[in-house]
Amino acid sequence: MGKLATLAEAVASIPSGTHVALSGFAITRCNMAFAREVIRQGIRGLTVSQCVGAMDADLLVGAGAVERMIYGGGSLDRFGRLNNVNRAIESGTLIAEEYSSLSVAFRYLAGALGLPFIPTRSLRGSDILARLQQIAPENIGTVQDPFTGDEWLALRPLVPDVAVVQVQVADEEGNAWIFGPRWDNEEQVKASQRVIVITEQLVPTEIIRRDPERTVIPGFKVSHVVHLPFSAHPTSVYRVYDYDAEHIREYAAATRTVEEFRAYLEKYVFGVQDHWEYLELIGGMKRLTSLMADPILGY
Amino acid sequence: MYAEDYTPFELMAVAGARELKDGEIVAVGIGLPVVASFLAKRTHAPRLTILFELGIVDPEPIHTGVGLADPRVWYRAKVMSSFVDMLGMVLHRGLVDVGFLGGLETDAYGNLNTTLLGDPRGTFTHSVGSGGANDIASSAKRTVIIIRHQARKLKEAVSFVTSPGYLQGGSAREAAGLRGGPVRVITDKAIFGFDPHSKRLRLESIHPRITLEDVLANMGFQPLVPDQVPVTEPPTVEQIRLIREEIDPERIYAG
Repeated sequence: MGKLATLAEAVASIPSGTHVALSGFAITRCNMAFAREVIRQGIRGLTVSQCVGAMDADLLVGAGAVERMIYGGGSLDRFGRLNNVNRAIESGTLIAEEYSSLSVAFRYLAGALGLPFIPTRSLRGSDILARLQQIAPENIGTVQDPFTGDEWLALRPLVPDVAVVQVQVADEEGNAWIFGPRWDNEEQVKASQRVIVITEQLVPTEIIRRDPERTVIPGFKVSHVVHLPFSAHPTSVYRVYDYDAEHIREYAAATRTVEEFRAYLEKYVFGVQDHWEYLELIGGMKRLTSLMADPILGY
Repeated sequence: MYAEDYTPFELMAVAGARELKDGEIVAVGIGLPVVASFLAKRTHAPRLTILFELGIVDPEPIHTGVGLADPRVWYRAKVMSSFVDMLGMVLHRGLVDVGFLGGLETDAYGNLNTTLLGDPRGTFTHSVGSGGANDIASSAKRTVIIIRHQARKLKEAVSFVTSPGYLQGGSAREAAGLRGGPVRVITDKAIFGFDPHSKRLRLESIHPRITLEDVLANMGFQPLVPDQVPVTEPPTVEQIRLIREEIDPERIYAG
């Protein structure tokens, strides 16, 4: 059976309570269409991880789909904070395992390499560590360097059930290219049990074979390939489209209160059948064309 | 030739630039540190290497971005890679000379809070958290803190140590297994260093047109104050021109 799937089919493969690693970074390559579909399907109790908290996670948390978040802090860059995540932390409805960017990256790396733990110099002496020792003591330990005798802080590997990665180019086997910086995506993919690739462009495997050094996600890890243009909207996809500043401003304003955010969800998530209706709602071709990236600038 | 007309933010950016030496590697977030780093690279430190945590080396932006996630900031980069590459194989490896940090509040020992305000065990407001800041504070050879000079931001003790400075002072940082540490705190009124033994914040210079009273009245604690405190070197005309015409023409960072 092939891996090509609709977004609804790919999302339906994720049971409530799954640990999902998300590819977003603040307001770029976020799994926005994916998050909207997860919410429409009523999936809940998720553990979400990413090195820097992003808009995809904030949307899911705001809709009540997330029980635990493993991340290194985050924001919507200059558009604002992750208001839904912050509100859920402040009210105690979200278990936030909060690290630094590198600590989460190291946990993925240990998972990707199949190591039992990874030592790190980060977090020592901080209240981040003190808080983690209360919230998630099972993930934090110390280990003695067998060569020098030095004591090190050690982190447990992170092995998500599924990584969901927004990419520019993939084939139907899931071999995928990521253009621009990749932040934690490669380690997320390689640490995870399986991968859902959501791609802007679907190409024949022959194209992948012509430039295989670009392949960041190997097809053998991939369970579903979803071909879905503009699926990161309103966040950016480098070399494909820019972020939609107007929409992100609207989102940031709507996340200031629970009531306003409910109205946002009613309009942009529950008010549409699928991604195609969403794209019409936000202004269709006219709007999307205005966001297309300049081929030299990449934005 | 020194400039007459400049904003407090421009002075902070220039003071930040002066902390960077040619040939060094600097890890920066977004905001004033970006202006400081690009300014240093275009003046006295052309061989400076500028890193952004998500996997960007030495970009040459021509448009101002809204943050690290904005491809405007990545334009013409020499490397596009990952956290493990930048924060791991460069920073954690021990190759980053200087890290620039900012935050909600800092304290008498250069500890920085970017996580929350209030009581961590009671009512608090959550902010942005660490990102790469804790990693930079833990592994850079030295760090420079850039922060507004307000009593609510300069406190005897921060409510949450996101990024450790000298912790409780003295040898507390070394005892926690950390190298490096903050060397400078740059505000819009003054520049501070740290006493070599107690590691307590020590006034080093006061900006032009600012008085010692202004400095002390707007702090939540008493720093060490030497008998003689010089005036901060003002920006040059060329530095201000570069900031206004080339580095931050839309005046997004430097006010």
